[in-house]
Amino acid sequence: MMPLLQKVYDFVDERIDLKTLEAKMMKEPIKGGSRWAYVFGSVLLFIFIMQAVTGVLLMFYYIPSADHAYASTQFIIHEVDYGWFILSYHFWGSSAMVVMVFAHMSQVFLWGAYKSPREMIWLVGLALFGIVMAFGFTGYLLPWDQRAYWATTVGVEIMDKTPVVGDFMARFLKGGPTPGQMTLSRFFVIHVMVLPGALMGLAGLHLFLFRSAGPAGPFRGTPEELKAKTDFFFPRQVWKDIVAMAAVFLTISSLALIEPVVLLEEAKPDPGDYHPEPEWYFLFLFQLLRWKIFSGELGQFLGATAIPAAFMLLLAALPFIDRGPERNIFKRPIALLSWTVVMIGILVLTVSAIINREFLD
Amino acid sequence: MASVQPKIKSKVRCVDGEIGEIVHVIADPISLEVSHIVVRANGTQRQVPVATIAAVRDDSVELLCNAAQVSGFPEHKPEDFLTSKQVEIPHLENKVHVEPGDLLVPFPVLEKSCARRNFFTGFIHVIGALIGLPLVWPVLRFIMAPMYAPYDNRWIKIGNISKIKTEDVGVQFIFKKSFKDSVLQREEDKNHWVVKATPETLKKVYPQGDISFTDEKGEVIWVNKQTIPYVAFAGKCPHLGCGFKWRTHKKLGQVFLCPCHLSIYDNSGKVLDGPAPRPLDVLPIKVSATGEIEIIDVEYKSGKKELVRIA
Repeated sequence: MMPLLQKVYDFVDERIDLKTLEAKMMKEPIKGGSRWAYVFGSVLLFIFIMQAVTGVLLMFYYIPSADHAYASTQFIIHEVDYGWFILSYHFWGSSAMVVMVFAHMSQVFLWGAYKSPREMIWLVGLALFGIVMAFGFTGYLLPWDQRAYWATTVGVEIMDKTPVVGDFMARFLKGGPTPGQMTLSRFFVIHVMVLPGALMGLAGLHLFLFRSAGPAGPFRGTPEELKAKTDFFFPRQVWKDIVAMAAVFLTISSLALIEPVVLLEEAKPDPGDYHPEPEWYFLFLFQLLRWKIFSGELGQFLGATAIPAAFMLLLAALPFIDRGPERNIFKRPIALLSWTVVMIGILVLTVSAIINREFLD
Repeated sequence: MASVQPKIKSKVRCVDGEIGEIVHVIADPISLEVSHIVVRANGTQRQVPVATIAAVRDDSVELLCNAAQVSGFPEHKPEDFLTSKQVEIPHLENKVHVEPGDLLVPFPVLEKSCARRNFFTGFIHVIGALIGLPLVWPVLRFIMAPMYAPYDNRWIKIGNISKIKTEDVGVQFIFKKSFKDSVLQREEDKNHWVVKATPETLKKVYPQGDISFTDEKGEVIWVNKQTIPYVAFAGKCPHLGCGFKWRTHKKLGQVFLCPCHLSIYDNSGKVLDGPAPRPLDVLPIKVSATGEIEIIDVEYKSGKKELVRIA
């Protein structure tokens, strides 16, 4: 280290015990050794940081008013140098976030890493999943184009169908009986203040709990084998993490380059030729609501609110129901089957929603 | 000067011979230096001041006094001390190299006999609540302010009946609606559908006869007569609020079709297929002598069987 840097390091170390902090952060033994399968959490943190950076940049130009939201977004795309790239990166970054959340949750599920003593990490993780989806939902409205307006209108109407609290929740989000300026203001402040705060707090807690309980490690191998392969978080795991981050960065950047964001017409209560549709990661839910059994008031509540809520509750209860110590996914047939069924279900519903588009014109 | 670093289990020697071993080390929480060592001699633990130490060696400590003087030092009372693990004293464990569980610091006198601990705990919660509770109602009202806006009962011109060429066919009327949206004066494109209904279709639109419309207080503001052939349907799908279209369906012929969740309605607004819970919403309509269509932009809650007016 350079003498000056060393001096600064020593200065800080003397005051806050940097060496211990460094050891705690970097020298965490990973039993069974570092793996590519463990990169998802770090990659999510990376994606979030990039969303925060691009998001802050977008706010330099974006105006959260029903009169100017659309024009200012067009201004970012067409007038501001590299505005199209920053906006498109933010847009594709949100998709990457959802994909990675699914990957991360799948990995934890398949590895049985939610089991005792890691139940709290899993629970906080589920809350973070909800926050990521809320980020997607609130951010989608901000460009104030037809796609944005209609996805929000339908999304809020779905929430409205929740018994007892639905009407209040929908009016709360819309800031009135119908969508308008108050809706945009609310979505904006939730997207740029409330959710980032909640995510940072909960992600910090998630990491703290993770470090307190320690990593679960592989589901196979004797203690001796695991010990023999153990290495520290730094450098081998950090190296794998940074490679994965670079791959994700390249993917998001390429998508931003190849498919930059193009807005539709400005939002208005007349959909024109536009067929309202939510963002792709909500398509499976959207398609579910087209089924006959989910028609009518009760059906709608079942399809849009009760089933997703029950599914989330089931996930939350999972570590308390599934108490067997077995973590090997190949010895947990019900878990493997459920995961496969859910994934295939989501895939089939999403694909059929896409196929359905053709029949609408 | 480096502070004295006695070690646990070190033998303790007085000028007149070995008397026991160190079982604890007591540190001063202000200076972060060792103040006493606790020596176990003949089954009793005694606090020996650090000034008595002559020298610290690898596995032993030599004292300046004799054994008799050591028995004169006060007996160690564990209840008067806390281990360094039980308190937060920054840098202490870096300065005094003893296992955290064996390193003791004095239990502050004010804390040890804090007779009113329960009182303080309660007081803290009460004051916290006194700050927080008065804010609940204003904050709630602040957030809820625009949520229950009054209905808009203005008549709005949406176009002329000359646009309608055929009976029993859905015709879209796109119009500008200007309104105050918080502080903004805004104008929005909206759309409704008007059907010039044949008597058979009218019967299906008005199965229970005339339809009356009410304001918040339940007072009737308008009645649609079942004899007027022009019927206006709100452009918002009663399922989940999407915009529906007039389309030709392979089997059902010409219908209103909502592209979102594929609800299908006939020209009287009746549900033919799909998830919609009720027929299309009929709006208050009046047609002037010159054929100008005026409506009240009534809005009902979507997804409900019954009509719940929200705007």
